[in-house]
Amino acid sequence: MIALPSTLLLRAIAGGVLAGALCSLVGVFAVRLRMSSIGFCMSHSAFAGAALGVLLALDPLLMAMLAALATAALLGPISEKAKLPANVIAGVMFPMTMALAFIFLMLLPGPVIGLTVLSLLWGSVLTVSPSDVAFLAILLALTTSFIVLFWKELNAVLFDPRLAEADGVNSRAYMNAIIFLLGGVVALSLKLVGGLLVYALVVNSASTALQLSYDMKKIFLLSPFIGMLAFLSGFGLSLWLDLPVGSSIVLTSSIMLATSIALSPKRKRG
Amino acid sequence: MEVVVRLEGVSTTYEGERRPAITDINLLVERGELITIIGPNGAGKTTLLETINGLLPSEGLVEVFGLSVREHGRELRRRIGYVPQDFMVEAGTPFLVKDVVAMGRVGRIGPLRPIREGDWEIIWAVMEELGIADLADRPIGKLSGGQQQKVMIARALAKEPELLLLDEPFSSLDARSRMVVCEILDGLREERGVTVLVVTHDLSAIPEGCERIVLLNEGRITADGAPDQVFASEAFLRAYGPVRAVIA
Ligand SMILES: Nc1ncnc2c1ncn2[C@@H]1O[C@H](COP(=O)(O)OP(=O)(O)OP(=O)(O)O)[C@@H](O)[C@H]1O
Ligand SMILES: [Mg+2]
Repeated sequence: MIALPSTLLLRAIAGGVLAGALCSLVGVFAVRLRMSSIGFCMSHSAFAGAALGVLLALDPLLMAMLAALATAALLGPISEKAKLPANVIAGVMFPMTMALAFIFLMLLPGPVIGLTVLSLLWGSVLTVSPSDVAFLAILLALTTSFIVLFWKELNAVLFDPRLAEADGVNSRAYMNAIIFLLGGVVALSLKLVGGLLVYALVVNSASTALQLSYDMKKIFLLSPFIGMLAFLSGFGLSLWLDLPVGSSIVLTSSIMLATSIALSPKRKRG
Repeated sequence: MEVVVRLEGVSTTYEGERRPAITDINLLVERGELITIIGPNGAGKTTLLETINGLLPSEGLVEVFGLSVREHGRELRRRIGYVPQDFMVEAGTPFLVKDVVAMGRVGRIGPLRPIREGDWEIIWAVMEELGIADLADRPIGKLSGGQQQKVMIARALAKEPELLLLDEPFSSLDARSRMVVCEILDGLREERGVTVLVVTHDLSAIPEGCERIVLLNEGRITADGAPDQVFASEAFLRAYGPVRAVIA
């Protein structure tokens, strides 16, 4: 067990709890709308953006954000031009962003890869700044208001985007908003969990919540708590066994998902 | 009479296809009419409904309530009830029946106003009418095919539509349920002047009160008129072959 200064510890916990809640909230959209490869793609381009930021001595968080949002903005038009689903385009772009990220990392001067870069890869609670926590809190507030204000439309889109469109709902606009939200959340959470693993937090907690109820409203209430729990237990594990935070969170959230699948009411006679 | 649907020289071609799925369609539908659109598989019935609903890009004039669906599609769809063909969900789908029915009203209510008590009254009344009120709190994926079909009909009716587009709405319904739906449709036409277009490839599923049949074959309207007239036509024989007896 390593001893952390208590302000750092508190800041890490605040950031992690916020990121856990955020990731799993937008995760419900991502999982239900099968945007997984879009999310993977954005998390890896955020990682590439952060790496580029380090290389150019720009703010890595800002660069990660820009890269994720640029990906979000590009996916739709490219998939329309290529007449392929956005998922397919994302699948092609995903290794490309990874390749770019590694090139940027290789280009870094000096033999020592700094703490920042390592934290981008594996995630680190030591680098969470007060402004990171503030951004996460703001984004969580925005996301929650978005969900509450447009609940009935989002609900219809989540059930079936085409059918929602037939009922006069602008499905595409809501889908685009969701993709942007996903990009922002992934980029902001990157520092904590790491570029390689951040998306697992998005998918695992939401999938766990989706296992546990048939009622979308309950799933949205449940999912952020599962995300927070995943972070807290993973964080505890990483302190206890001195493991990378991101890996620990992915491990605990995967165990939670496996447990929920085993216990799911959906697998019992109802 | 008030024209609700006006199609002039309409053709719809799916993306990447060379031949249009429906060609040179001309159709006038008046308020309160019940029209059955028949035709063999692949004739273009679904394409025609989705064209009227503004869900497919098309050529020619497509107007509903006097407005072009190209410019006013979304606004029009808030007044048009649509039941898609063979809509079924996976067993694990995380939505309750009542919430799916309520979704029908979402576009009509518009953004930033929640579903209120008054909306729920209408939603419950529709579920009662269709006999699915006792299923309201069940997950939709756990319903039978026919029950799910009733949910989709309820969803379209919950909108209080002025025009109803029903794509094979009876395909999974038993005889009694078909009658119930037909009675509801008759009631809506008489009381509120709702216009109804029903698509079916199954000639035994033509609703009783139907006074006009449109026959589609290979993407074109080949007959349009009173049932007797259409059944006696050359075009009908070409489309369906020598079927008799089915039409009771
Ligand atoms: N998404 C699509 N892309 C390309 N072609 C399509 C598509 N959907 C339908 N078609 C074609 O358009 C034609 C008309 O199809 P449509 O679905 O309108 O037929 P239908 O009359 O509703 O048939 P059914 O009785 O089987 O429901 C068919 O030849 C079909 O192959
Ligand atoms: Mg069809």
